[in-house]
Parts: sequence; structure tokens; C-alpha cells
Amino acid sequence: MEEIKGAIALIGYGLAAIGPGIGIGIVVGNAIQAMARQPEAAGLARTTMFLGIAFTEALALIGFVLFFIA
Amino acid sequence: MDPLILASECDPAKEIICAPTNVIELFQFDEALFSIGPMDFTRTVILTFLAMFIVIGLLYFAFRTPRVVPTKFGAAMESLVLFVRDDVAKGTIGPDGIKYAPYLLSMFLFILVANLFEVTPFINFPLTSRMAIPLFLAVLTWVIFVFVGFKKNGISYLTGIIWPKSVPVALRWLVGLIEFFSTFLLRPITLAVRLFANLVAGHLMLTLLLGSGWIFMSAIGDIGIRSIIGLPWFVFGLGIFVFELVVAVLQAYIFTLLSAVYIQTSVHPEH
Amino acid sequence: MFELFYALEEAAEESSGIDLLLPETSELIAGILAFSIIFLVVWKFALPKLSQILEARQQAITGQLTEAESAKKEAESLLDDYKEQVAGARKEANQIVDDARQSGEALRTDIVAKADAEAAEIAEKARKEASAERERAASRIRDEVAALSLDVAQKVVAGTVDEGAQRDLVARYIDDLGGMG
Repeated sequence: MEEIKGAIALIGYGLAAIGPGIGIGIVVGNAIQAMARQPEAAGLARTTMFLGIAFTEALALIGFVLFFIA
Repeated sequence: MDPLILASECDPAKEIICAPTNVIELFQFDEALFSIGPMDFTRTVILTFLAMFIVIGLLYFAFRTPRVVPTKFGAAMESLVLFVRDDVAKGTIGPDGIKYAPYLLSMFLFILVANLFEVTPFINFPLTSRMAIPLFLAVLTWVIFVFVGFKKNGISYLTGIIWPKSVPVALRWLVGLIEFFSTFLLRPITLAVRLFANLVAGHLMLTLLLGSGWIFMSAIGDIGIRSIIGLPWFVFGLGIFVFELVVAVLQAYIFTLLSAVYIQTSVHPEH
Repeated sequence: MFELFYALEEAAEESSGIDLLLPETSELIAGILAFSIIFLVVWKFALPKLSQILEARQQAITGQLTEAESAKKEAESLLDDYKEQVAGARKEANQIVDDARQSGEALRTDIVAKADAEAAEIAEKARKEASAERERAASRIRDEVAALSLDVAQKVVAGTVDEGAQRDLVARYIDDLGGMG
């Protein structure tokens, strides 16, 4: 490749998505384990799971915003 | 509308997928159909009012006449409303969550209809892929949970966040700083951007895939066998279509649930 | 898919991406207006109406349940009444049948006794008649025999003289007997 085209912001967004991707995987995986172990607490686990996803996802979303701003 | 933008810039004989040079065009309908004072009635504005009328119509026709045995439509609306009222509002916030049920319910229905416009034939445009509605609702949620936090807990709401008692003293300033930014800055931004980004991505994929498929396959007279390129795009686009149906409902639910959770953390900050 | 990324990248280069993140004023006004109206409808109409519907449904169901309960009780008391009546009727019927059987029995013994008595009377009468007849027959025979013996004795006395006459006499007597027979 003699020439590399593209915006550096794209790479930035790609990097920003790695961590949250892994993090959401861990959150959901553990939430499913919790629900499987205690199905009667599934509602609580689900709410907490979404909350955890929201916190984890924030980084990817900031990356998304920065991609547009850059 | 969107395929027209795509087709005007696409040469099916050379490219393998049709994408406009500027994807922002897919989300902007700046030309006002008519204006009243400062209000420009663009397509998005008119769709916003259409969504409003749909929500009101759904509620009106579902609950107009009380029935002991509800119709199918009435039962569906009832279970939807009761889900938001009992599971989301009361289930998350607690018994006094019933106070926030009107807010959460109107938010949920509005976002749901606005999202489902993405997969509605002849509309094909999610209102929430424009920043106005997500940002307004996120800011409203922010105002509510900050107001409720100060009203219920006084100044200890703020000190509890920036000087958390449950953390070792050495780390308090760091955790407090993170918590402060996370609560007062990141919560509303991420709440708005999550919804917005999901719908932007969904609309982009649907438009590019289905639009490309349609352009390639309808150009079969000009480009011959090359139009077969459009088929996988189209099939992939149909898969994404079903996926976006799920995303539209899920994002409305998540937005509502997170609003409820944020309000709950202000009502009972120690949890 | 690279074309898509080129497109995104060119969009970024034109730095109009930030436009997408900022709300249009008219859209914001429209969103606020629409949401306010939806909120009013939900707050003032939908949720109170739904509570009212649920309340009415609960009341209707409880009302129907109590109604069904009272109807069931009524039906049960009615059933008890009927059972009582049926039991009474059966008892009465048994009574009637018993009475009838008793009177029938009485009648039967009565009739049998009467018939026995009648039969005995008839038999008695017949016997008396028969014995009277026999008596009469016997007396007539006795009279007959006496007359005959007298006759014979006269004839014997008159005919002693002659052996042949005697034999004649006997033969005549036998003839007489045969003529009488």
C-alpha cells in the first residue's frame, strides 16, 4: 500500500469501542450467570445489568461523539 | 427519498455499494415545506407531530371506553402501559415511583413510535436519529433527577457524590471526581447519545444496504449480470431490518429504564 | 463496505459531523411541544382512565363473584327444599301403599272368610238336602217294602195250597219286580 487513506478519528473510534465491547460482554455474561443461579432475582439482575451496560457503554459513546466532532 | 439521494451519486457500473459522499445528507431534510414565524416545518418536524398524534391516538382508542373484557388492542396497550407503570416506574424507583409514571410512560411511547418510524414503510426515518428529541428528553431527565436529589436529600445529595463515605479516605477525592463527572455530565450525554447513535447506525445500515440492493437490481438493464451484486446487500438489509425492529423497542425501553434508575439513585442515594 | 467508511471519512473531513450532534431549533421546539402534549394526555387522560378501568373491572369481577355466591346459596336452599319435598312425597306414597296393602289384606281375608262361610253353608245345605232326600227315599222304600211284604204275605197265604200256584206266584212276583224295575 503506497497510500493510506482515511481519517484518524475512525481509528480513534475503533480503539474506543474495544474496551466497552469487552466490558459489556463481561457484564452481560455475569448477569446471565446471576439470573441462572437465582431466577427469582432476575428482575434485579436485569436492571443492574442495564445500568452496568450504560456505564460501560459510555466510553464507546464518547468515542462516537468525538468521531463526529473531530 | 433516501434511495434518491443514493442513486443521484451512485454509478452501479463501477462501485460495489452505493454510499453518498456525505452521509449527513441521509439525516438532513433542511428544506422547509412551509414556515410559521421561526418554526420551519421540515419533514422531521412534521414527522414529530405525526408521532405525537399516533401516540395520542393509540392511548385514546385503547382507553376510550372502559370494558370489563378488553379488546385485543386494548389488552395490548394495557399491558404495555402497566409494564411501564408497574415494572419500570414502581419496580425500579419503589412505591413512590408511581409519581414518575406519567413522565416515564409518555417518554417511552414517544421514543417507541419515533424509533419505529425507522422501519415503517414510506417513512423510513427514525426521528431519534436527529439529536433534538433524545437531547431534550435526556436533559429533562437530568433536570428531574438533580431536582429530586436536592429536594429529597438537601445538600447532602451533592456532598454524598463528591465525598462518598463508603470509600476509603485516600481514594475519596478520586472517586468523588469520577462520580461527579459521571453523574452530572456523562449521564445526560450518554443517555442522549446512546439512543441517537443506535438509531443513526441503524438508519445508515438500512439505507445503504436496502438502497444499494434496490439501485443495483433495478439497474439490471444497464449493467447486466453485475446487478447480482445487489442481491446480498438486499438480503443482508432485510436481516438488519428485523434486527432494527428489536433495537427500536429495546432502545426505547433502555432509555426509559435508565431514566427511572437515575431518578431512583436520587431518591435513595445510598443504594 | 469500504465505500461506507470513505463516505464517513469524507463527512468527517468536511467537519459537518458536528451538525448532526446539535439539535435544530425548530425540531427542538416541535419535540418539546409534542412531548408536552403527550405528557398531558398521559397524565390527565391515559393513566387515570386506566386506573378507573382496572378499578371498574375489579369491582365488576367481585360483584359477579358475590352474585354468583348468592345465586349458588339460593340454588342450594332450593335444592334442599326440593329434597325435603321429595322425601315427604316418598314417605306419603309409602304410607298410601302400606294402607292400600293393609286394606287389601283385610278385604282379602274378609272375602275369603265370607266365601268359606258361604261355601260351608252351601255344603251344609247340600248335605242336609241330601240326607233329607235319603231319608225320604228310605222312608218311601220302607213304605214300598212294607206294602210289598204285605202283598207277598197275602199272596203266600193265598197260594199255599198249590205248589204250582206257588211257583206261578213267585214267577209273577219276579215279573212284577221286573215290570217295576
